[in-house]
Amino acid sequence: MEMPQYDPNTKPEFELYTIPSHSSWFRWDDIHETERTALKEFFDGSSISRTPKIYKEYRDFMINKYREEPSRRLTFTQVRKSLVGDVSLLHKVFRFLDEWGLINFGAVSRGDDSDNRDSSLGDTELKNQVKIEEGAPNGVRVVALPNSLKPISVPNSGADGSGNGKVAVAGETGVKLPPLASYSDVFGDLVKLKGFKCGSCGEQCNSGCYEYSKGSFVICEKCFKNGNYGEDKSKDDFRFSDLGGNSLTHGATWTEAETLLLLESVMRHGDNWELVAQNVPTKSKLDCISKLIELPFGEFMMGSAHEMNSCPTGSLNSLKEGQSASSENQNDVKMEDQVHDQMNESKQNGDAATEEPPAKRKRIAPLSDGGSTLIKQVAHISTMVGPHVTAAAAEAAVAALCNESSCPREIFDGDEDYLANGLSSPTMVSDPERALQVDASKMEENQSETQDASSEKNDVPLNLRIRTATATALGAAAANAKLLADQEDREIEHLVAIIIETQMKKLHSKINYFDDLELIMEKEYNEMMQLKECLVEERIDVLERALKTGVSKWRS
Amino acid sequence: KFRMPTADNLVPIRLDIETEGQRYKDAFTWNPSDPDSEVVVFAKRTVRDLKLPPQFITQIAQSIQTQLTEFRSYEGQDMYTAEKIVPIKLDLRVNHTLIKDHFLWDLNNYESDPEEFARTFCNDMGIEDPEVGPAVAFAIREQLYEIAIQSVASAREIKISKKGRRGAEHAISSKGGGNALDLMKLFRYNSSVVRKRKEWYVYEPIVDILSNEEVDALEAREDRNTR
Repeated sequence: MEMPQYDPNTKPEFELYTIPSHSSWFRWDDIHETERTALKEFFDGSSISRTPKIYKEYRDFMINKYREEPSRRLTFTQVRKSLVGDVSLLHKVFRFLDEWGLINFGAVSRGDDSDNRDSSLGDTELKNQVKIEEGAPNGVRVVALPNSLKPISVPNSGADGSGNGKVAVAGETGVKLPPLASYSDVFGDLVKLKGFKCGSCGEQCNSGCYEYSKGSFVICEKCFKNGNYGEDKSKDDFRFSDLGGNSLTHGATWTEAETLLLLESVMRHGDNWELVAQNVPTKSKLDCISKLIELPFGEFMMGSAHEMNSCPTGSLNSLKEGQSASSENQNDVKMEDQVHDQMNESKQNGDAATEEPPAKRKRIAPLSDGGSTLIKQVAHISTMVGPHVTAAAAEAAVAALCNESSCPREIFDGDEDYLANGLSSPTMVSDPERALQVDASKMEENQSETQDASSEKNDVPLNLRIRTATATALGAAAANAKLLADQEDREIEHLVAIIIETQMKKLHSKINYFDDLELIMEKEYNEMMQLKECLVEERIDVLERALKTGVSKWRS
Repeated sequence: KFRMPTADNLVPIRLDIETEGQRYKDAFTWNPSDPDSEVVVFAKRTVRDLKLPPQFITQIAQSIQTQLTEFRSYEGQDMYTAEKIVPIKLDLRVNHTLIKDHFLWDLNNYESDPEEFARTFCNDMGIEDPEVGPAVAFAIREQLYEIAIQSVASAREIKISKKGRRGAEHAISSKGGGNALDLMKLFRYNSSVVRKRKEWYVYEPIVDILSNEEVDALEAREDRNTR
């Protein structure tokens, strides 16, 4: 290419051809490694018809021929008539250049892409083109775990072969399907429970609710507008909290970077969800927790953190309450007393011995009985695990729920306070329990001031209690499963280590064997060389003697 | 060792049988490693599909078998595998399409695929008749087969000749090399592998679509020639 004299008024006469970015290694005056590897025949010196020079000529000719008319698609037949050489080999070079986009990159494609051709996403005329779709095809929803409802969206990768910035992202992820015939939404109940119920009109407030700043009372938007604030509350006391963005979205798109951040922060801060949420900038506490639970080892993080704090009484209590609430749906003080007796016993048991969870084989009893309700199953599961585990799970559940609804934990404590008063509370060992007590005492003071609010307050916590209970039980089961899984993992690791060791030993003995063989071969080789020398010597001898005796012509 | 110098070692089989006033012409590739029982099965199926009289079965089977045996007779023998790039000429008519072409083929390239060449050819030339591709591939194979046979013969001759290495080369260039191009001349260091423009037409494929009358005329002439 010639460069004209540089004249500020005229542009230099270069012609621009586009090639994809992954072919940027190409140089006119050089042959790149890629070419050498793909077209070895030219570079191994096996024939004088295949040399690097010849390859370069083929390549340059084809590319130049294409560039004479970049919009027209160059066919192999057009070039092969001008080149001397085996047509199969020429075709190979042609296909190589085509695949790397060095020819036919901007050309209009043909109507029917045969199986040999790549679909080059050159131009806008992609009518008959094969589209490369990214992500799952329409109608398929990718979820993290089976039965999970949260769709995962594939991070959009820009590279699909066309380096000029075109990204052919046609597929959409996270599309909801109509439910399959066998699809049963076992978690639908749980999801619904998470929505808030309006305090005054009793309906679900889905999009946004107004939260009473002095207590834990929520009303829906409608009621707020209509003025049904509830007794003794004024407009100013309510602040708006948008649930639509918060509760159910769970931050559906978690990129890998965010997941990594989350894991790191959990490692560092363990339980402290405020700090964790801070570190993961775009996700709230709730999102972090739910994401962590969904990760395969998420429970491990939460479970291990919690088992270190031993069980507070309140969590057990709320679990039992939950059971009672499910069956009767009433805040029956009598039941609570009964329940409390149970709790007392189990607590003493719990304190008395540090229980090991029973052998895992026994655990695998039939859990899913199709006839019983979900709550019953949950209760059943929770009874199967040890109290420590249950308590820890309840703690986690409480924490999660508190974070989600921004309710102060005191409401849970407040209930216990009613009951704990009537009991001789056994010696409290751990800090959280003491903290609970402290809170309880605080609550006593507050209660006298807000007696009238308390009755309404109890309505709301009921829902929360139910949710706590269920979440607790599930958490307990999950933690238990995690323990079992851990054990399995350890066994597997151990076995794998054994296998690897055995393999290594095998390989070592093989190597030794081959070493020995080599030695033997070397020795034999040496012997052969010696023999050869002997033979040569003998021959020389014979020749000498023959010459001495005057034999003139030696016939071989 | 003898084999078809292509990726798949397939035998080109040509059939031309006439019985009771009916003539059956066909050309296809056969895999010589298939068991011979397949031959009869194939014959029966063909006769049934084309609704030919049953006498054809034995004749077809015999013809295939003969050609297969001939192919196999070459199999144990050595082929002369020196550098050989041979010209292949296509001159065939398939239904309404007339094809003339001329190109080079490397006998030592055991990855070559006549079918792939035929496919590319039909795609590039926009041929829609699906019978053309296989016919082109078959024609290539036939020629390669003949050249392979020739190279076996030349290998035998080289062994017989006692002249040593230089003599062998001489024999090649005179006998077996009748078709092979002189690689030395073509791929010399200071010559280019790009042909001169005036030669391009020689190696360019010509595809003609014939009208019905032309087809009839050609067929009549072919029949006369073969009788």
